Amino acid sequence: MTELIAPNVVAASTRSDRRRKLLQNLLRGERPYMLYIAFVVLLVVFSLSSPWFLSVDNFLNIGRQTTLVSIIAVGMTFVIIARQIDLSVASTLALSGMAAALAMSQINNSWIVGAVAGLGTGALVGLLNGILTTQLSIPSFLVTLGSLSMARGLAMMVTNTKPVIITNETYFAIFGEGSFLGIPVPIAWTLVAMIVGILLLHYNVFGRRIYAVGGNPTAALYSGINTKWVTTAAFVLTGTLAGLAALVLSARSHAARPDVVQGMELDVIAAVILGGCSLFGGRGYILGTLFGSLIIGTLNNGLVLLGVSSPLQLVIKGAIIVAAVAFTKR
Amino acid sequence: MELSGSIAAEPRPSTALLLVGGINKRFGGVRALRDVNLEVRPGEVHALLGENGAGKSTLIKILSGVHAADSGTIEIAGKPVAFDSPARSREAGIAVVYQDLSLVESLSVADNLLLGREPRARFGFVRKRELMARAEAFLTELGIPLDTKATVGSLPFAYRQMTEIAKALMGEVRLLILDEPTSSLTSDEVRILFDAIGKATRRGIGVIYVTHRLNEVFEISQRVTVLRDGANAGTFVTAETDMKRLVNAIIGTDRSAPAASRVAPAATRAFDPSPVLSLSGVCNDRLSAVDMTVLKGEIHGLAGLIGSGRTEILETVFGLRPVERGRLEIEGRPWLPKGAADAIDHGVALVPEDRHVQGLVLDHSIERNITLPRIPHFSRWGFMQQRAAARRAETAVARLSVKAQGASSLVRTLSGGNQQKVVFGKWNDPRPRVLLLDEPTVGVDVGAREEIYAVIRNAARDGSGVLVVSSDLVELIALCDRISVIVDGRVARTLQRGEIDDAEELHHLLQMYQASGQSALQELPA
Repeated sequence: MTELIAPNVVAASTRSDRRRKLLQNLLRGERPYMLYIAFVVLLVVFSLSSPWFLSVDNFLNIGRQTTLVSIIAVGMTFVIIARQIDLSVASTLALSGMAAALAMSQINNSWIVGAVAGLGTGALVGLLNGILTTQLSIPSFLVTLGSLSMARGLAMMVTNTKPVIITNETYFAIFGEGSFLGIPVPIAWTLVAMIVGILLLHYNVFGRRIYAVGGNPTAALYSGINTKWVTTAAFVLTGTLAGLAALVLSARSHAARPDVVQGMELDVIAAVILGGCSLFGGRGYILGTLFGSLIIGTLNNGLVLLGVSSPLQLVIKGAIIVAAVAFTKR
Repeated sequence: MELSGSIAAEPRPSTALLLVGGINKRFGGVRALRDVNLEVRPGEVHALLGENGAGKSTLIKILSGVHAADSGTIEIAGKPVAFDSPARSREAGIAVVYQDLSLVESLSVADNLLLGREPRARFGFVRKRELMARAEAFLTELGIPLDTKATVGSLPFAYRQMTEIAKALMGEVRLLILDEPTSSLTSDEVRILFDAIGKATRRGIGVIYVTHRLNEVFEISQRVTVLRDGANAGTFVTAETDMKRLVNAIIGTDRSAPAASRVAPAATRAFDPSPVLSLSGVCNDRLSAVDMTVLKGEIHGLAGLIGSGRTEILETVFGLRPVERGRLEIEGRPWLPKGAADAIDHGVALVPEDRHVQGLVLDHSIERNITLPRIPHFSRWGFMQQRAAARRAETAVARLSVKAQGASSLVRTLSGGNQQKVVFGKWNDPRPRVLLLDEPTVGVDVGAREEIYAVIRNAARDGSGVLVVSSDLVELIALCDRISVIVDGRVARTLQRGEIDDAEELHHLLQMYQASGQSALQELPA
């Protein structure tokens, strides 16, 4: 397996220095190749055991199924690198979806209003998480455990737990059902989130600060970095991305429901950790997160194709995640 | 403080309780201990002295099983022992009372004393009444005035320390190690602590007492062992020695000579006498009216014992502590620091005391660490100018001669001296107006030390005002144009170059001011 990857890297480095720098930036990590090897092994195993697995349609399927987790996991990567955790993302998604659908139904049935309401609600929840964590020094585990419950409760209260139907065709096309350059829009949005994440984390000033705050908060403070602001910004980013995921989900199902994606925060966190982020902060990279998310998605998909019962799927998935983290931890 | 007769009891001349022979310990390239010997008798208080980095803490860590010695022997009551863990050391009867105490603050004194050894009923229930009674009986027997029902977190520091000592004595303890126990105590609390130590030694327990305060050595110990540069610099019977001899042993006569030669170039340097930083009457929770000025191009030293407020002065100027009263001026303009970022904007830079915790992100590269305080300088439209940042880091690495493969090496892989150069590199360019240094050469080997001195002198020559805190008095005298003596959060005296010639004199002065500071405190109405 190692030979599969190594020649590419060598070739890239001989071709030009820039290319190598780019690869280094994207593939960074303690044991960068373990993750990709694990992914390839998974693909090989499922291809051999199921005739339906290896097809363009099925891969698009996996892509679509992992969209929500992948989009939010980009934000979670920032939060975890900054030594925090956000448990509220699934509830934030539900609340943002309700906000988007209700706003549209109240104001002109305009997709722009829906998008702004969805993203804004997500950002607001993130802002509250960040402010409570940094200004009151409450551990983010507790803050977001609280907002997990509150956001879900609010989402259910606004319509007394009833779903809100969406009728705007443009909204469906932009966020759920259309395609952009031949790519289904949910996957396109995932790519957008990824690229923004890579630019922010690996090329932007903000990324440097995130790594420093997570790597050693005291040293960051002594270097004049506003650690509270940086941490808060990571939460806002995650909330906003949960809002984006809400737009994608509601556009795909033509409705917002307050009880969607319960427990998804665990998949998101698992994806980020599988992708090589350290729960102790200061380490992680976006492409790793994408692969972490793809591994989880591929597992879900492959196990279904193999006809594994859904309770057993849960057990296998959990075991594989723990084993993978045990192998890749520092 | 007078000598307490009960404590200075004659040590029994029986066989040694603890015998340490020829201990060696290396950390990477640094020899932390070289053939160190130590003997402690039952019922004896044995003081352990030495400058920071002399090897005291390494020796204690070996005795407590945290580190393993590379070679050498440890015997307890004539029996050779080897510790591979703190638990083994504890089994052998060695108990260490650390500065940061190992008590559970939310539990009562009695609960803490019997933690893990609670008298139990069936199904793991605790016999509360028996627990209280046993704790009570033990404290009475020892004669320690502690309320068993009091919550530890609510006790004053000295009583917590007493609880800690009592807890250590609860087990089968033969040797008690106290590491700088008085650094955060008031003089009344010191009294209480000394009483508790006396109670322990009367039971035949040996005590190793680590301190920087020489007057305490004369008050409480029967013998003194001095370490210098990781080796024995002498063992003395306290009653037969005096402060001068101890100071000589701590500093070493051999080190005074090169120090003198290092003074010369600094003395001839002429500097612009305009103040770059001035403090007048600066007060906060740890400072009481600090007055001082640092001139452009001056290296100004702060001398004082641990807990005197030296570090706090630096932290206040760097915006990490609020200024409650008083004025601060930078280049003549009044300024109240609003935080570290504000301080950096005003040209203030800090090389903090603990480079691992405060100075560096160890798992990141040299380049990332060096650019950390200047991130906005390396960005356009928010994006990192990665090449510019890398170039700057390479320049700093070359200029400070950091020994590393390149600016992309992880800081964790560097030696202490090179790590410290990286911390200096963070503030290399642009030149800071005020450079604050807190113990700049702790944990740095001798060769790298000279290089760091050169970096400091260059900074001053380029026009920075340097304010340096150091416990190494030889270092202060060699580096500084002026030295301010800090006692109890204020400047007790500022010495001009030439007013004091050697570290010994400065050491005496510090001890004197410390002693008078304490008595002055006692005279104050509560």
